[in-house]
Amino acid sequence: MFRLLNAERMKLKRSPVWLAFLIMPIVPALLGTLNYMGNIEILQSEWYSLWTQHTLFTDYFFLPVMIGIYCVYIMRLEHNNHNWNKVLTMPQSRTTVFLSKLITASFMVFISELWIGILFIISGFVVGMANPPYMQIAVWCLFGTLGGIVVAAIQLMLSLFIKSFALPIGISFAGGLSGLVFLAKGLGHIWPYSLMAYGMNSNAPQKILESGYTEFIIICIVYIFLFTIISNVILSKKDI
Amino acid sequence: MIKLLQCENRKTRGRYIFITAFIITVVELVWALHNNYSGFMLENGWLNFLYQLPLINAIFMPILSIIVSSRLCDIEHKGAMLKQLAVTVDKGKIYDAKFIYGLSIVLFCNIISWVAVIIGGYVKGFYGSVPIKLYLLYLLFTIIPTIAVYIFQHILSLLFKNQTVTFCTGIIGTFGGLFSMFLPNVPFLRRVLIWGWYGATQFVGLFGWTKETRYDTAYFEVMDIDWILFAIMIAVCVIMYLIGKKLFCRKEL
Repeated sequence: MFRLLNAERMKLKRSPVWLAFLIMPIVPALLGTLNYMGNIEILQSEWYSLWTQHTLFTDYFFLPVMIGIYCVYIMRLEHNNHNWNKVLTMPQSRTTVFLSKLITASFMVFISELWIGILFIISGFVVGMANPPYMQIAVWCLFGTLGGIVVAAIQLMLSLFIKSFALPIGISFAGGLSGLVFLAKGLGHIWPYSLMAYGMNSNAPQKILESGYTEFIIICIVYIFLFTIISNVILSKKDI
Repeated sequence: MIKLLQCENRKTRGRYIFITAFIITVVELVWALHNNYSGFMLENGWLNFLYQLPLINAIFMPILSIIVSSRLCDIEHKGAMLKQLAVTVDKGKIYDAKFIYGLSIVLFCNIISWVAVIIGGYVKGFYGSVPIKLYLLYLLFTIIPTIAVYIFQHILSLLFKNQTVTFCTGIIGTFGGLFSMFLPNVPFLRRVLIWGWYGATQFVGLFGWTKETRYDTAYFEVMDIDWILFAIMIAVCVIMYLIGKKLFCRKEL
C-alpha cells in the first residue's frame, strides 16, 4: 500500500494541480472578508458570519469541481497510453489500487480544508476579531474533509468508467448544485454531494449538526465503502 | 472555412457536446425559474429577472465555456492531431474554425435560455408585458462577457495539452467573478475580471431593501449603462482573440 501511495505521489510530481487547491481558497478568503467588512452591520455573528462568507460558495460550487478535476487527472494518468494494463498486471489487488488513489485525493482535500481554516483565522484577526473558536474550526474542517472524501470517492468512480475529461467535472458541478438543493430540502445529511457543506456547517455555522456527528460519520464511511466496492467491481469486470 | 466547420461537426460526433451544453442550460433555467413568486416579486417580476439573472449567468456561462472549449480542443491534443491538421490547413484557420464552432454552441445556449426566461416570465404571470428593449440589452450584456470568457478558455485549451490547467484557471476565474458581484463597494474588481463583467453590465438595481422593512420599501430601478466599459469590453475581446491567434500560430505543435 505504501509503495502504491509512493507511486501515486511520483505520478503527480511536478504536476501543478495542487497549486489550484492552494490558490482557490484565497479568492473567497479575500473577497469574503471584504464582503464581511462591507456588511458588518448586518452580519453580527462575528466568526460565524465570516465563516459563512468564506465557505458558502466554496462548498457548493468550487471545491466539488476542484475535487472533480483532481480525480479526473489522477485517473487520466492511467487511461492514457493504456497504463491501466500495466497497473492491473502488478501484483496488487484492485481495491488497493483504487484506495491509494482515494487516499491521494483525500490528502489534497485535507490540505485545502486546512488551508481554508488557516486563511479563515488570519482573515478574522485582520478584521479585528478576537478569540477564534479554534476547536469548532478544527471540527468543521475535519468533517468537511470527511465529506470531501465522499465526493472524491464518487468522482474517482465516475472518472474510472468515463474516459472523457470534461464530463466527470460537469457531473461534479451538477453534483455541487444538487447538494445545495438537497440541503435546502433538509436531506443534506444523506446526499453525498451535500455532505461536505453539511460537515463544514457553511450555511448555519452556529447550529450543531441536527442529527449528531455520529450519524454523519457513519453515512460518510458507508458512502466511501460503497463507492470503493463499485469501483472495484468496475475494475474487475470492465475491459479497461 | 465551411469545410473546416463541417469537419469540426464530424469530429464532435458522439462526444455529446451539444447534449452537455443543453443539460447545463437546462440546469441553469431550473435554477432561474424554480421560485414561486407572489406580491412584490410578481409585480416586478420582469425587472427582478434582470436583477438576478446576471448572477446565475456568472456561474453557468463560464462553466459552459470551459467545458465546450476544452472538449473541442482536447480532440486535437490526443494523438498529436494538431500537427497533422497544421500540415494541411493554415493554423490560423484551425484556430478560427474551432472558435466559431464552439462559440456558436455557447451563444446558442445563451439565446435558448434568454427565450426560455421570457416564456417562463409569462407562465409565472408577471405583471405587464416584457420590457423587450431592456431584455435585448440584457441579452447583449450576457453575450459580450460570454464571448470574452470563451475566447480566454479557447486560448488556454488550445495552448495547453493538459486540460487541467484550463479547468483550474477557469474555475478560479469564475469564483473571482462571482465574488466580485457580492462586493458592490469594490466596483473596479468586477470591471477588471472578465468573469465579473456579468455583474459590471448589470443595469437593474434593487434599492430600499432593509432587514426590517424587507420588500415594503424596496423598488427596482434601471440604472445608467456604462457604455465606455462596454466599448472597452469589445476592445479587450478583439485584443485577446488576436493575441491568442498569434500565440497559437507561433506555438510549436
